[in-house]
Amino acid sequence: MKLKKYLTLTRAGIIEALQFRLSFVVMVIGNLLYLIVVYFLWKAIYASAGTDVVNGMTFTDTLIYLVLATALFNFMEMYTVWEIGRNIQSGKIVLDLLKPMEYRKYLFWSYSGAFVTQFFLTFLPTFIAVAVVTHGAIPMGINLLYFVVSVVMAVSINYSIDYIVGTICLYTESIWGINIMKQVIVLLLSGATIPIAFFPETLRNVVRFLPFQSIYNAPLSLLLNGSPGTETVLTTLGTQLIWCIVMLAISKAFWKASLRQITVNGG
Amino acid sequence: MSAIIEIKNVSKEFKVLNRREGLKGSLKDLFSRDYKIVKAVDNISMDIQQGEIVGYLGPNGAGKSTTIKMMTGVLEPTSGEILVSGNVPYQNRTKNAQEIGVVFGQRSQLWWALPLVESFKILKDIYQIPDEKYEIILKLYRSLVDIDPLLHKPVRQMSLGQRTLSDILAAFLHDPKIVFLDEPTIGLDVAMKSRIRTLIHALNKERNTTVILTTHDMGDVDALCRRIVIIDKGKMLYDNDIEHLKSFFGSYRTLKLRIDGDLKEKAKLIQKELPEFSVSVDEEWISILVDEDKAKVIDVLGKLQHSYNIRDMQLEEISTEEVIKKIYEEGVK
Repeated sequence: MKLKKYLTLTRAGIIEALQFRLSFVVMVIGNLLYLIVVYFLWKAIYASAGTDVVNGMTFTDTLIYLVLATALFNFMEMYTVWEIGRNIQSGKIVLDLLKPMEYRKYLFWSYSGAFVTQFFLTFLPTFIAVAVVTHGAIPMGINLLYFVVSVVMAVSINYSIDYIVGTICLYTESIWGINIMKQVIVLLLSGATIPIAFFPETLRNVVRFLPFQSIYNAPLSLLLNGSPGTETVLTTLGTQLIWCIVMLAISKAFWKASLRQITVNGG
Repeated sequence: MSAIIEIKNVSKEFKVLNRREGLKGSLKDLFSRDYKIVKAVDNISMDIQQGEIVGYLGPNGAGKSTTIKMMTGVLEPTSGEILVSGNVPYQNRTKNAQEIGVVFGQRSQLWWALPLVESFKILKDIYQIPDEKYEIILKLYRSLVDIDPLLHKPVRQMSLGQRTLSDILAAFLHDPKIVFLDEPTIGLDVAMKSRIRTLIHALNKERNTTVILTTHDMGDVDALCRRIVIIDKGKMLYDNDIEHLKSFFGSYRTLKLRIDGDLKEKAKLIQKELPEFSVSVDEEWISILVDEDKAKVIDVLGKLQHSYNIRDMQLEEISTEEVIKKIYEEGVK
C-alpha cells in the first residue's frame, strides 16, 4: 500500500515518456553522432600514441567503456537540477511541496518512470549491441550482478548530488550556469568522458577521494573486469555505499535548512 | 465547535536586498549586505469554521498569497501562531497536505501530458484514497459537471476553463477539510466563471469543505462568500459579513464615459456640474463614482447627455480596489 504511492508516479512517468515518441528518435540520433565523434577521437589518440595499449587499456576497451558510459549517462541523468530550478522560477514548486510526500521522494519517483523507459530503450539496446559487435568483450558472469548493485547505488549518489545542486537554485534563482558547471564536473571527475585510467597520477589520487567516480567509474570497472577479486568488489561497493549514505545525509540536511528560508515567487 | 483554522497575531517578514541602479549599482549589489525588511503580513488574526467560504481580498501584493502559503505550510511565519485542523502547518507539511487541497489559478497541478483520468488515478494513489471513496466522489462530480468528455482528454489540450475546472475537481478529490482557491476564475469568460462558481458552491455544500477564496473579482465574492476578509499592505482592514460591506458600498457604481474633446477639461466641467460625486480621468475614460442613494446613474447620464457628446459608456460595479480606497478614506464602523 505504501509502495503504491510511489510506484504510481513511476507508472505516470512511463506513460508520459511514451507520449513523446519523436523525442526518442532524436535522442538515438544524437547519441549516434556523439559516439561517432568519440570513435574517431580515440582512434586518433591511439594512432598518435603508436602503441596498442595506452594506460593499460586497448582501443576496444576504451571504446566499450565510453559507449557504456554514455548509455549509462543517458539513463541516469535525471535533469533534477533543471526541474528544481524551473519549478522554483515558475513557482510550481509550491504545488509539489503540498503533496503529502517529501519533495525529495516526490521528485525522484516522478522521474523514475523516465528512468525505466530509458533503461529499456537506450541502455539495454546499447549494451546488447556492444556485446554482440565486440564478440563477448563484455564478460558475462557474476560481474553482471555486481554491476546492477553498483548502478543502483550510482543512481542514488547521482541523485543526491543533483539534489544538492538543485537546492543551490533556491538561493541563486538561476539554473543555467550552475547546471552546466555541475554537469562538467560530474562527467569529468566520474570518468564518464575520459576513463579515469587516463588521468594524471595526482588527479587520479584526488578523484579517488571524491564521490563522483562512484557514479560511472565504479559500475563500469566492475562490469568490464571479468573476474574481479572479492577484495576489489568489496572496496568498490563499500565505497559506493559510504558515499550513498553521506550524500543522502548532506542533501537532506541542506534541503531542510534551505527550505526554511525560501521565498517562493509570486508572493 | 473549535475553528478549523486558527490564526493568531501572525506576521511574516521578508529580507529584500536594496537594489541599486545601473551596471555599477548591480556590481555593488553582488557584495551588498544592505537588506531592508519588508512586512508582507502584519499581525493578522482570524478564526475560520468548518464549512465556511471565506473571501480573502486585497490588491496585488497585499499579502494574500503569503498568508495562504503560511496556512499551507510552505512558508513559516516570522511570529505568531497558525493551527490548521490542529496541526502547525510548516512543522507537519506532509501531514497537513493530506488535509488540504490547493488551486492556484495560474498553475496546474495536473500531469500535463496525460489524460485527466490518469491524473486522478495518480492523486488517488498519492493521497491513498480508498476505492469506495474514490467512486463516491467521481459519482458526485458526474452529477455536478459533465466530466466524461474531459476525463480522457490530455490536460495540455484543454482550454483554460476546462483546466481550471479539472484543477478544482483534483483539489477536492481526496476530500480535504480545507481547499485554498487562489484566483480560480482569472482569465475566464463569464459563462465559465459562473460554472466554476456553481461547482465550488456545490462542493462546499456537499462535502462541508471549508473554502478560502482569494480573488479580484467581486462577482466571485458575491456569488460565493458570506464572510469577507480584506487585507492591504499586510494589515487586516475588514473581517465581517458581506451584507455589512454591501450596505456600505452596495449603492456605489462607477459610470465611465468617453466624450469628444479634451477629456481633462470636460472632467473639470462635469465635476462642477456634479459636485456631490468624485470625478476622475485617465487617457480614455472619465469615471464618475455615483452614489445611487443620491441620484440614479440613468439620471446622471441623462443630465450629461444634454451638454456633452457621449460616444461610449460603461457601467462598473465597485471593485475591490475602490472598496479598499473607500475603507481608507472613511473607515468601517
